[in-house]
Amino acid sequence: MFYKIGVQNNTIRGNNQVSFGKKESDKKSVCENHDRLLVEEMDKHPISTSLKINAEKLTNAFVKYPIKGFKGSKNANFYQFLQMGTVPYLLGSAAMMAVFNLARIGFNTPNAKSAAKLGNKMALGVAFYGIMKNLSKKFIELPVKHVRGIDVNMPYDKIVYELPEKGNENNLVQHENHKAFESVDFPRWDLFYNNEYFGDERNSYYKKVSEKFGYDPGEIDHSDQKMKSVIKETVVKTKLFTTLSSYFWAASAVGVAMQEPWEKMLFNPIQRLRNLKDHAKIKKVMPDDFFIIDFAKKLGKSFGEFIGVDFGKIVKNLKNHEKITKGLEKATKTQVAGRVLFGAALGLTVLGNFFALNDFSKDKGSKTQASTSLIDDSREKVVC
Amino acid sequence: MSNLLNSILSNQSIQPSIQAKTPEFTFDADGKVKPLNYKGKLLPSRLFATPKEYAHDLKQDILSIGKAAKGKANDYELGRINDVAMKLGSLGLASYLFIKNPLKLDKAMQFIGFGTFFGGMALWPKLAIQAPLRARTGVDIHQKYIDSQGRKKMLHQDPQYDLTDLYSREDLDTMGEKLKVSDDIHDRDNFIKQRAKKTAIQGNTLWMMSSFVTPILSAMGCKALEEPVGNLIEKGSLISSAINLEKGMGPVQKIKNFFAEKSLQRFLRKNSGKAMTDELISQITQKLGDSANSADISAAIKESLKQMKQKPALSADMVSSAIAGIKDISSEKIAAAMTNPEVASAIESGSVDKVADLLSKAAFDGKRTGRQSQVKSTIKNLINKSIKEQSVSDLTDEVAGKIKGLQSSLLSFSSDRALLDKYLGARVVEKDGTFIARQWNRVCTKVLKILKLNDAELSALANGEISVLDKKFTQLAADSAKYEQAIAEITKLINKYEAQLGNASEGDRAFISKVQAKAHEMCAKAVKGIDSDDLSKVADAIKTSENTIVRNAGERTMGAQSSFYRLLQTFELYKQLDKNAGGDLTSKLTEALKKQGIEPTQTMIDKLLKSCKHILLEAKTTDYTEKLAANNFNLSQNEYKAVMSVLFDTKNKSTQVKRVLEKQFGPEETAKILKGFESYKSQFREKVVNWENPMKSSFADYLLDEATHSPNATERSNLVGSTVKDTIQGCARKMKNTKFWTKMFGISLAVITAATLIIGLTFGRKSKMEKQAEQESKING
Repeated sequence: MFYKIGVQNNTIRGNNQVSFGKKESDKKSVCENHDRLLVEEMDKHPISTSLKINAEKLTNAFVKYPIKGFKGSKNANFYQFLQMGTVPYLLGSAAMMAVFNLARIGFNTPNAKSAAKLGNKMALGVAFYGIMKNLSKKFIELPVKHVRGIDVNMPYDKIVYELPEKGNENNLVQHENHKAFESVDFPRWDLFYNNEYFGDERNSYYKKVSEKFGYDPGEIDHSDQKMKSVIKETVVKTKLFTTLSSYFWAASAVGVAMQEPWEKMLFNPIQRLRNLKDHAKIKKVMPDDFFIIDFAKKLGKSFGEFIGVDFGKIVKNLKNHEKITKGLEKATKTQVAGRVLFGAALGLTVLGNFFALNDFSKDKGSKTQASTSLIDDSREKVVC
Repeated sequence: MSNLLNSILSNQSIQPSIQAKTPEFTFDADGKVKPLNYKGKLLPSRLFATPKEYAHDLKQDILSIGKAAKGKANDYELGRINDVAMKLGSLGLASYLFIKNPLKLDKAMQFIGFGTFFGGMALWPKLAIQAPLRARTGVDIHQKYIDSQGRKKMLHQDPQYDLTDLYSREDLDTMGEKLKVSDDIHDRDNFIKQRAKKTAIQGNTLWMMSSFVTPILSAMGCKALEEPVGNLIEKGSLISSAINLEKGMGPVQKIKNFFAEKSLQRFLRKNSGKAMTDELISQITQKLGDSANSADISAAIKESLKQMKQKPALSADMVSSAIAGIKDISSEKIAAAMTNPEVASAIESGSVDKVADLLSKAAFDGKRTGRQSQVKSTIKNLINKSIKEQSVSDLTDEVAGKIKGLQSSLLSFSSDRALLDKYLGARVVEKDGTFIARQWNRVCTKVLKILKLNDAELSALANGEISVLDKKFTQLAADSAKYEQAIAEITKLINKYEAQLGNASEGDRAFISKVQAKAHEMCAKAVKGIDSDDLSKVADAIKTSENTIVRNAGERTMGAQSSFYRLLQTFELYKQLDKNAGGDLTSKLTEALKKQGIEPTQTMIDKLLKSCKHILLEAKTTDYTEKLAANNFNLSQNEYKAVMSVLFDTKNKSTQVKRVLEKQFGPEETAKILKGFESYKSQFREKVVNWENPMKSSFADYLLDEATHSPNATERSNLVGSTVKDTIQGCARKMKNTKFWTKMFGISLAVITAATLIIGLTFGRKSKMEKQAEQESKING
């Protein structure tokens, strides 16, 4: 198959509608379908687009790909294998919660109560782990996106043409949800060329990024050639530090979940729902039983206990600068360990921002000349 | 691409940097560059990597992180960094929880949990999927290869990246045979490779779909390791605490002490020459108290420091102003007395007593009357008060020196004490995971196992239903083989406990004398270090703590022993209740009642028999202080006395138990055990059950008695020990919970494993299409 990079148009779809799964365009001939960035969808409806992408990924991971895999389909690929990794992640988390909570139904009351204390903490720990592991990545990714204009999570819709199996030739076009920079060895540079979202020119995206890096786009001969290495380096650094820091954030989150305030939390959703119907009961228990406030208070208190800081005292003494240290009590050995764990997470995030937002090679190369350009821009390029 | 490459290589003057690499290329007949030969190869399959491989991989990973920080790493390196980060994060968390948990076993379990989790994650696919599949089809779904760049990857990771060319002839033949690929088909190797690939896709899918089992595996692993690890820790702390006690302060403590000394020295230097205000004294006390680690000693330090204030020298002015205005002596007389050389010399010598004596005499013109001695003491008080008020002292070098000396004594004392506490903690402190607690758990588990409870009985016992225990003990007493086994097993465990405390023959007595000697040694050393008279109160506090240490150790040992004897006594009681085995409790009770002048009725006997069971199974100290009134037994004084005289009868030499023990341990050992048993009974009778012990009107009174630290109360509660019901109920609960938990997750694990193995059996089979294709490819077809 031949197609011209110079002519290919990675533009967004005309009607700006988000739709996944079977698409109108799938009926087109093989050459008319092509991968495209979901940049406009992400810009206009970031939450619904992300949710839809994730929902599709999740159903595929639990249903579509395992069926293919168990059959040993010749169309099974590495992407599908990786997507199935969500299954042990989610089911494993549920199993972990079960290990600490399920058995207590058979325990005697006092044992069940003490098991519930630990069970609450462990279940919260699993949830906090998952939340912080994913959320913490944004602490580096968002600054990189805003300062450098590089969205390391930029999604794209990948079209896969499958081999026919058992005469199902009509259903050969498949969509996969990938990220343009998921591979640092082979980033999908091509998707950024001629993308109307970034501008009218072929190199609009690269020019935009070069501007963010402090170059004058007008002075750079081949902004794409110049910026590709810089973008790649930024992506690698971002990935390194998001990976490293995310596990320490997750560990810190588990540490917070292990604190005493959670022991007293009666996390009984059924009881709460029952109370919801009974207004008198709600009124009676409302001040203490308002879940979100109660949860937030406990979260704050647990975090304070985890790192040995009494935020309540600090807030009380806010006006009295001399006494503000009252909140910084003498930390116990455990709290020092908590500080180290939290410090590692925070430190790696700060370090990640420093490394990812700095272009160390900027001053070494020429500002106007692409150093390794082998491509003559005037020629039409043909890639097979 | 090859054209482009050729043009670059042929134009070497433009690309000098690539010139150096040219020898690596090979050229074909037309002078065109040939692709490089691949260096990739399959790696042998092993359950675990060698240490050398681990070290190599670790080095590569660290280098990768360095590369990635500069933005130069590739996908492979970033993938590996993810694994490293996951382990680092998990280790960080395990370390945090290690520090957070106070118990050694809990600490160890954090890392065991980490190990079993990652171990389970790695072993599950190997054992449940890879190994059976490999045995059946010859395909190793986790076959690894090393590529030309030295990167290790899984051969079947990406089915669209076909690397099956790396298979050797032998591999293909083995797989072909196991996968039953016909021998006589065209392109057989390709058939085998396709089948291998298909099997690997299926296996990898199963791996992903079943890996959620890891937490269950990890939990089961932890449960299985908890007991042996606990045993190791228990033995370890017994041994290490004994060695450390002999060896004395360790290097870590020495460093800590060094810093504590430096910190105090800095503080004293900073405040040198300042007045010894109460605040400064408190600060010094706090610093010294941290070293002493005892409230009593801290209080003594504070008091001593206050007394160390320097007294002002006695002067005529001071005396005059102190006693000015005193009714009994006129100012003229005072002035006159002051001129007396005798008074002057007394003032100079600083003797308040003599001055007061002379002045009071002067007031009454030398006459010694009762009034005079009153005036003398008033004068003395006034002068002393004035001295006290005027005693302002500074933190002089002399005082600082005394404080430093005190600190060094206290530091050494508290370090020694910490070692002794650890020694005692490992042996007699009943806390989760300590030797004594674990030993008791073993005893109870043994009892429960011998009692052979079914699930319903175990559950009832866990809920505290005493009737089950009563029923089971009665059954046990009737079965002499089991009865003997129970007593023998329990006694063995207790003997082990006693042997651990001291030597086997002397048991706890040797232990207590060792503790006493050690406590005396360290207290004497500390007191010797504190030679200043000003600090005598601190020395006294240290001397007192010696008794406290020994008493605590003794009480704890006594508590443990009493609980054992109580269990033994319970066994004895049930044997006495068993009439078939010659049990004669009823006749003994009748006899005892008659001695008290009561003619027993059957109802009365039944009530007393019931109370006997209650006393041994459930009675707590309060039951004795209230003379069993709380449980509606309503025993009269005579009835109570009759019951107790039967139960704690020292004349009856425990014949039933004796017989069993002699059979198991021989006469010598039995005599030793029975001696302790009898002594326990007589002490119990004297100190706990005695009717003449003050009868408490209410439970609150009893608590009040506790609150005033009456030695009797502690001793009594130690003699009573823990109730048989409480100990067995606690153990039953633990056993029931473990059973339930193990059953629940054991079944889950078994089901998941079976399902995985069965699903695995369906992999690698030929589909209809494959069979057809194979048929069509037959050479002779």
